[in-house]
Amino acid sequence: MQFSWEWLGEYVELGDDLEAVAQALTDAGLAVELVEEVGEDRVLDIDITTNRPDCMNYVGLAREVAALRGVPLRQPVAGLPTPQPGPDHDVVTIEVPELCRRFAGQVIGGVTVGESPDWLKRRLEAIGLRPISNIVDITNYVLWETGQPLHAFDFDTLIDRRLVVRQATAGERLTTLDGEERTLDETMVVVADGARAVALAGVMGGLDTEVTDQTTTILLEGAWWDPSSVRRTSKELGMHTDASHRFERGSDPEACRAAIERATALVLELAGGQLLGKTIDVRGTEHGPIAPIELSHDRLERFAGVEIPRPEVEERLKAIGFDLRPHSEGWMVEPPSWRRFDVVEAADCYEEVLRLIGFDRVPAALPPSEGPDAPEIPIHALRRQLRDRLAAAGYAEVINYGFYGAAQDALLPPLFGDRPALAVENPLSELYHLMRRNLLAGVVENARFNRRRNQEAVQLFEFGHVFWRTADREPKEREHVALVLGGRLGTPWERQLEFDLFDLKGAVELLAETGGVELVARPATISGLLPGVAAELTLNDEVVGILGELDEPAGEAYPLLVAELWLDSLLPQPEPPKVEVPPRHPGVAVDFTLTHPLDVSFASISAAIEESATPDLSSFWLEGRYQGQGVPSGAVNTTIHFEYNASDRSLTQEEVNERQKLLSDQLIARFGVGGTAS
Amino acid sequence: MENLDELRERFRRQAESVADRDSWEALRLDWLGRKKGVVRSLLSRIGEIAAEQRREFGQRVNELRREVESGLEEIGDRLTAREREASLVARRVDVTLPGRRPRQGSLHPVTRVIAEIETIFAELGFSVAEGPEVETDFHNFEALNMPPDHPARDTQDTFFVEGGQVLRTHTSPVQIRTMLARKPPIRIICPGRVYRHDNDLRHSPMFHQIEGLAVGEGITFGHLKGTLEAFLQRLFSPDTGVRLRPSFFPFTEPSAEVDITCPFCHGSGCATCSQSGWMEILGSGMVDPRVLRNCGIDPDRYSGFAFGLGIDRVAMIRYGIPNIRLLFDNDERLLRQVRR
Ligand SMILES: [Zn+2]
Repeated sequence: MQFSWEWLGEYVELGDDLEAVAQALTDAGLAVELVEEVGEDRVLDIDITTNRPDCMNYVGLAREVAALRGVPLRQPVAGLPTPQPGPDHDVVTIEVPELCRRFAGQVIGGVTVGESPDWLKRRLEAIGLRPISNIVDITNYVLWETGQPLHAFDFDTLIDRRLVVRQATAGERLTTLDGEERTLDETMVVVADGARAVALAGVMGGLDTEVTDQTTTILLEGAWWDPSSVRRTSKELGMHTDASHRFERGSDPEACRAAIERATALVLELAGGQLLGKTIDVRGTEHGPIAPIELSHDRLERFAGVEIPRPEVEERLKAIGFDLRPHSEGWMVEPPSWRRFDVVEAADCYEEVLRLIGFDRVPAALPPSEGPDAPEIPIHALRRQLRDRLAAAGYAEVINYGFYGAAQDALLPPLFGDRPALAVENPLSELYHLMRRNLLAGVVENARFNRRRNQEAVQLFEFGHVFWRTADREPKEREHVALVLGGRLGTPWERQLEFDLFDLKGAVELLAETGGVELVARPATISGLLPGVAAELTLNDEVVGILGELDEPAGEAYPLLVAELWLDSLLPQPEPPKVEVPPRHPGVAVDFTLTHPLDVSFASISAAIEESATPDLSSFWLEGRYQGQGVPSGAVNTTIHFEYNASDRSLTQEEVNERQKLLSDQLIARFGVGGTAS
Repeated sequence: MENLDELRERFRRQAESVADRDSWEALRLDWLGRKKGVVRSLLSRIGEIAAEQRREFGQRVNELRREVESGLEEIGDRLTAREREASLVARRVDVTLPGRRPRQGSLHPVTRVIAEIETIFAELGFSVAEGPEVETDFHNFEALNMPPDHPARDTQDTFFVEGGQVLRTHTSPVQIRTMLARKPPIRIICPGRVYRHDNDLRHSPMFHQIEGLAVGEGITFGHLKGTLEAFLQRLFSPDTGVRLRPSFFPFTEPSAEVDITCPFCHGSGCATCSQSGWMEILGSGMVDPRVLRNCGIDPDRYSGFAFGLGIDRVAMIRYGIPNIRLLFDNDERLLRQVRR
């Protein structure tokens, strides 16, 4: 909000150190963000926070400066002449007393509408306002001077020469001063004359009743409007005005009349004319007296963490218009009318004292230790470990937005089944109108982005929430982790590696291991994944993840392998398993190659080995797979490495061979098209 | 007898011409071979020697054998040394060739900064709390002293989802949830994603915050200052200056914007800090008693402080990332540079 230095000086002795004043204001919560030269004047751009509508005008700001500098405030005074007889009817009626608590006004006849004097125009122009005519300029001037928005009607254009404050009717129309025709509804408050709405209460006047060159009699309006009502109306109609900005933050209920008197005096001075009737002052529902606040000196100091002598508290608060009476070891405090909505309890007074003495006065201290707070939450601990393991395994973490578009939503089915996506009602664009149901859409997009940039390999992961809604539109969310892998890594010097599905599956197994679970991969048909290279990851028969190769049109540099997993499936993390002490006797190892049809799964071979309960078989693993010369078509060679170990003695090669032969023969009989032990 | 001297001389000559393992082996077989070696054949001729000379002959042959043996050993050692030398030449490496590092991935810069801040606050006795990203109006606004139609909502351009809930505009709702669930003393930080309806070069519609909350008996404004100083000096550098300026947030009172001495110029003024030497880094304040009351905490007994910090900007400062959009482009060429 912009303030002219020259204009401000009318209400308080500023001295000649602008920087010192600006710094003092900033330190007291009225941040001076910019100072600009405008002609001979300087204009301060001050960030006035929502809670301080009382400072959104010159007198209010001058009051703060006066308090900070310890000099008096010079309030403008308006002496008015004795009025002539005015209209012999009630000019103003309030039908919505809750929303219009006060309506002050003045009818002035015989005015000459014309240009404002230079000093007035200069002041308005300094803060970016366009001079219009003496009457309109005076209303703007007084708004900026006192904070009370005013409006001037051409009294003779008002049907029945009266005003009614009422709700608008649905569909009622009003052309506002900016020339726009507005369609109103019953939630809005209007000022109407005998027949029609003539102003949108607290926001803007109407075009038909505005002051023009022809106007000779004016009616000034200065009212108190309900903040929420003004805010709803201005938001609904997309109108933000100097008036609505102040009303929706809460204007001073006591300012209406003084502002009318001040404006009236200026009109008489600059446009001539005479008062027709006494100052109008109609009240709606009373705000009631301001409730005094009990302020304890002791609690103030304990809250602040610094000593603040009693006289200083009194002096500071009184300087900004607070009334203090000694009470107990502290005071009963009555805030002024312009702070009555903002200062209602002791904490509000603490704030005032602290900002006025300056935050620098309070020494920094650490709070006394109360011991540790809660232990680390399980999902946080899990995520931290998983992230570290993935990063150590070569994956780079990405972060995508929580929303995406329909195309991304269709890329893969959500893990949690066919639950509807949660829509954003005011999205940035159609590209972001759904909350994501899977993370992979985003990570795949990142992978493609990197692949297009000729990255030899992509290796990415993301942790994040996915969302859906229930049948009764209840939003739901949970955390997933997604991985994408593809390409070939390294130079010949680094021993190249070409990623395939089992590199990715290994990373998923690493995650499962961290959670102390074993996920079972089951072949599945998953739209978006290549048929035959896709699996559901299950835990206790529940699908908790997917894994596979992305089904993409041919011609990409390399395929993308993808996986997504529900994080909660890895919780709770069990205690780490106890170690097995390695056997003291050396074991005996045997490799066995089974030639079997391609559709025999490794899982079924493994299960058969486990079931055989071969004595002293301590472990076995996949040594290699081979298809090609020497292997019948439709079949594959699976070489399995077996380790035998007895806890109490050394096994001989002969007895191991005997046991292995039994096992191998079983496997051949069950699955094989022939096999050889080696 | 003279014969043996000749033999000795012959061995010496032959030994001189040994150049490799093969000729060494041939020499050994020639002289010490069990069947046809010179020494063996001398001994086998001992019967032809007169009996009184046999003893001396034997001694002299043994002498010859020892000389041959030690000669061979000497040559052998020389050969071994030469062979080792040759093999070392063959095995020599260029130690300036690059090492093969296990491929490392990377944590997102935002994740790294969050982890760092979590560590600092863990040292100060704070725990981490988390919550949903889709929030109720109550948790995101109302409980935080922002009733419907409150002008402060203007500053938090909000995404709404169907059903009337919102994408949280800050992580403060996690504070509310914690205060509703637990009794003081409470000391938590709440990191997470937040959303604002804002999308330009300087803003991303999604970004990250860490908010902190301490509620207990006797928590003072000075404790807020002390905690922020300790935190910011650990996060940036021990000589970081910290300045609190009065401001307004609906959920704290008094509220303070917190500036640090510019981490680029250390306070002397540069383009980044508009020559001011200071940089606004976070918002903070004493928890508004209305907020405490909304959470069932008696403000006459307890007080507290709260603060909120944008992570993304700290990550940008930390890693010299000039534009917030770069954080979410997810370009591996950038991400993988962030190793610590
Ligand atoms: Zn700087």
